[in-house]
Amino acid sequence: MPHQCTGCGERFEDGSKEMLSGCPECGGNKFQFRPQGADFPAEPEPPAADDPPEESSVAETVGRATTRVRDFVAGDEPDPNAAWPDEPDGAAGDDGDDGEIIDADARRETTGDAEDPAQANARSGLAGPEDVPDHGRSTTNEDDATAGEPAADDPAADSPTDDPPAADDDDRVVSEPSDDDPDLAELREQLNDQFESIKIVEPGQYELNLMELYDREEYIIALQENGRYVIQVPDQWIGADVDDR
Amino acid sequence: MGLLTDLRSSISRATSSLFAGSEPKRIGIYGPPNAGKTTLANRIARDWTGDAVGPESHVPHETRRARRKENVEIKRNGKSVTIDVVDTPGVTTKVDYKEFLEHDIEEEDAVRRSREATEGVAEAMHWLREDVDGVIYVLDATEDPFTQVNTMLVGIIESQDLPVLIFANKIDLEEASVQRVSNAFPQHETVPLSALEGDNMDEVYDTIAEHFG
Repeated sequence: MPHQCTGCGERFEDGSKEMLSGCPECGGNKFQFRPQGADFPAEPEPPAADDPPEESSVAETVGRATTRVRDFVAGDEPDPNAAWPDEPDGAAGDDGDDGEIIDADARRETTGDAEDPAQANARSGLAGPEDVPDHGRSTTNEDDATAGEPAADDPAADSPTDDPPAADDDDRVVSEPSDDDPDLAELREQLNDQFESIKIVEPGQYELNLMELYDREEYIIALQENGRYVIQVPDQWIGADVDDR
Repeated sequence: MGLLTDLRSSISRATSSLFAGSEPKRIGIYGPPNAGKTTLANRIARDWTGDAVGPESHVPHETRRARRKENVEIKRNGKSVTIDVVDTPGVTTKVDYKEFLEHDIEEEDAVRRSREATEGVAEAMHWLREDVDGVIYVLDATEDPFTQVNTMLVGIIESQDLPVLIFANKIDLEEASVQRVSNAFPQHETVPLSALEGDNMDEVYDTIAEHFG
């Protein structure tokens, strides 16, 4: 379950401790979830190029704690274009403003026809207790290669040259029948494995893993409509100089 | 605004600890949506401070942020116990905006409420992990208590070794079954009450003072 810093584009695999203590590159604490198979944009331009000058200077000079408070206070209305890297392939061309952002909801809306039916099935299906392990979510995804979605976890996937293979995968999967696909159960299991604290079934519909929510030291304080979320990072992860609780 | 509330509470706790011998115990009111948690919190707060905690509603997930009433002093049998009452959003494993549509809420508003309710559950679980000293677990006595959420939450509370009381609420309704609730959690004391009607509140306060004092 990869995540990407909305500030500088740095990517983090699921369970990354670097991400949990704030982005080591820019100190940001907003991360966008990118589902398996989603293309990561190439490394973004330096954030200063896209950021409003005041935002980057605040982030740099006042530090992480202030950034966090500011993000929280203003968190309801993030500027979707403020600190997000360019999309190299220009695939989402339906909306000039949102074209650079790919998130779970937007992907479904813009590429709904091309979505893997098995994935759609798994997305809308309900996870039974046996499908959702209570503890110890694996942070590795070695099995991904068998499901035809290797791009997101591949270390080389941040290169724009990986886009064509991803498109090939989509074509292949779409062309296969879905209901009898032997990979369906496997794919569904993988998706369920990725279901951590909060699963967005569709806008306004959520499934929650209470044990995960309870087990996390940080907690999700704001879900954004576009699939982003803001987490509160515990003080001890940031440093002794922060006291904002 | 959980963070700001935290800030404020840290300051007020630090201040109050300067003048008082010990901090009030923070008692979280937990339970599934529409069990009557806010009604109970308001009943307690009104009885002992004159204030209310938050709006009550038949619409589920009306409480989407934890709300706290501090320094509620309950006097029982010549002694007094001071607690902070934390009313938490109803905990559930699924939030669906369509639930709100049944209550004549527009779709856009329903989706927003759904998102806020989800955030509320996350907040409630976070509080349970770090910020409560005891739990009042409120159940609607007209509903089946044997649910995954109830079992999981009570299990978590037990694993934390937090003192817990089970409140079987809504006994003013005919179909309420206190026995069913106490059968579900025989390891804990179950107190029947109607927070709405104020039934059996004397026993409620006696038990709170006894367990959390």
